[in-house]
Amino acid sequence: MTLKDTYDAIIIGAGHNGLTLGAYLARSGLEVLVLERRHEEGGGLCSEEVTQPGFVHNIHANYHTFVDMAPPVADLDVRGHGVEYVRPEVQMASIYDDGTALTIHTDMDKTLASMARFSEKDAATFQRLYGEAHGFVDLLLGTLMYQPPLSVKELTKALATFGVEDRSEFLSVKLRRETINQFLNRHFENDKIKAHLAFHGAVCSYTNDVAGLAIGYPLLVGKIDNWHLCVGGSHRLAHALWRDLAQHGGVMWSDADVTDIIVEGGRAVGVKTAGGLELHARKLVASTVSVEQTLLEFVNPKEIPDELSQRVKSEVVHKDWSLFSVHMAMRTFPEYKAAEFDPDVNRAWVVNLGIDSIERLNADWKSIRAGNLVDPQPNAAVNSLYDPVDAPEGCTTGLLRQFAPFALADGGEGAWDDMGRWYGQKCIDAWRRYAPNLTDDEIIDWSVFTPHDIARKLPNMVRGDWMMGEISLANMLDQRPLPELGQYRTPIDGLYMAGSTQHPHGFITFGPGYNALQVIADDLGIEKWWSRI
Amino acid sequence: MPDVYTPEWYEAVKSAINDRVATLASVPVDEFTIAVEIVGDGRTPYVAEGDVRRFLIRLEGGTCAWYRELDADDPSVKLDYRFTGPGSDFDAIAAGLADPIDAALSGTIRVKGDMRFLMRQAEMVQVLLEAYSQGVETTWPKGRPPYDGVS
Repeated sequence: MTLKDTYDAIIIGAGHNGLTLGAYLARSGLEVLVLERRHEEGGGLCSEEVTQPGFVHNIHANYHTFVDMAPPVADLDVRGHGVEYVRPEVQMASIYDDGTALTIHTDMDKTLASMARFSEKDAATFQRLYGEAHGFVDLLLGTLMYQPPLSVKELTKALATFGVEDRSEFLSVKLRRETINQFLNRHFENDKIKAHLAFHGAVCSYTNDVAGLAIGYPLLVGKIDNWHLCVGGSHRLAHALWRDLAQHGGVMWSDADVTDIIVEGGRAVGVKTAGGLELHARKLVASTVSVEQTLLEFVNPKEIPDELSQRVKSEVVHKDWSLFSVHMAMRTFPEYKAAEFDPDVNRAWVVNLGIDSIERLNADWKSIRAGNLVDPQPNAAVNSLYDPVDAPEGCTTGLLRQFAPFALADGGEGAWDDMGRWYGQKCIDAWRRYAPNLTDDEIIDWSVFTPHDIARKLPNMVRGDWMMGEISLANMLDQRPLPELGQYRTPIDGLYMAGSTQHPHGFITFGPGYNALQVIADDLGIEKWWSRI
Repeated sequence: MPDVYTPEWYEAVKSAINDRVATLASVPVDEFTIAVEIVGDGRTPYVAEGDVRRFLIRLEGGTCAWYRELDADDPSVKLDYRFTGPGSDFDAIAAGLADPIDAALSGTIRVKGDMRFLMRQAEMVQVLLEAYSQGVETTWPKGRPPYDGVS
């Protein structure tokens, strides 16, 4: 296959948002080209054999929490293209230092029973909150996730008009001023339950001590039991999206490092690549990479207002913590000491190891924000419990994730290259304290993926920011990443932002690509076949 | 007083909507087609269990231009919104016994369509819902909600 000179739409970045947007546009009859800097599609949907052959590790995205909530899953027939999702029966657990454990199940009665062992009152509270959140999760998704964003002011006005403030804990405007910690402290009494729920928020990037993030907690609660695993590795989703794009005439071109967006007469009309390609776009160019790359590197500075350039430099804010990962090839599943208390922990897909109070998490954030490594209490995911093909027979993969700074106080991000292996061993040692059967003999191989590695492998994740923009009230909805970019358009006609810099945010939500599609369809008069009611 | 779900009743609802919308300072100029699907749930006597009564409602400039009952879902109709829920809940709303916002928030009645518009036009939506739930004196020839076993 050779590239043509001109396409209707050129999309920069073949992560799940770029592929999603591309596939919808291709299905709408546009000639679509998706350009990818790396050797393959996927972006964060990256699965590689980084330990031993046969062990498939999700280097980045591991948790698919919007399956069957995100419209593209059905619209683009990802299952028909070979994706198999599993929703593990025991979704998550917290194991505490005293040998007790809390488990979250797809069967909510089991979750409530597990909580009740710590506090019957808290279990009842959670049941009520889950019921409320689950009732309107569809409305939340339709209103807040899979539409170009409303403003907080519009939302507040509407909620006041409907008079719903008193009808649910989750619809109160005071959540806009609260941290998740405050929300949890107002509603729950047991430290371990609160710690688990705060941990759940943090794993979803909703840091529990950040003011205003309580506003996002209803959705987190509503989908607490909707965590899915992509069998065979998360990259299979990327491949399915690529397949849908290709089947509808679209092209994904890898090893194409975009260096310039060509602007003529104030309109984006194409791109140039490091390899010397010059490609033209009849209708649009959409970028799914970072705002910094798009507007400061790809676009000639004279094409955008100086004020916007300055605001991108100074006001686009990234997460103040990142993730350190240890990928493991093992001969056995973990057998937790806490299984004596709750046998289901041995079947839990994701396990929070030892964070037993909000205060512990708070202390960690403080230290991490100062650039320090904390005594690791990683979370451990064992995909092989539910994925029959991610490891050779009789073996298993393991993934440890530890909250960590991007730049270390001593040595900056570059210091990770010397520290990574040492810190990885400490994470493994921490896991062993709870699962003593994971001896050296049972661990075949392991490798680390540091915050610095995230930024090097996926440069759109600036400073290892896996959400591609701070998660805070000031950076939500139409304010993300800046008010003038919040509706997926840019000051340059025909240039759109369609990646996780935009509302809603990173994670495998499909949201930014799907929402940018709505705006593009409005601008180009494309029939919205996907939104038939 | 019209019997519920009869042409006369829908005419009364239409009048109630239009009277109330006329009092609003501003209404959107947009035109919308809305499907309402009332599902027989074994409690309402007005829809056989397992059956679905389908109505199309056309709003133009905030006022109700027409309504139509359908024998079956008509995929050729381009809908802007679809409201689907158990018959006993729709009955309770029409009787002024249940709040439609509560029904939507609890997921009892499911709403599909552009939620941004509903939020931005909350005032008009509120008026439409009030007209539906409180604007018509309704008679209930097969019994009035709440039904046995339904609070």
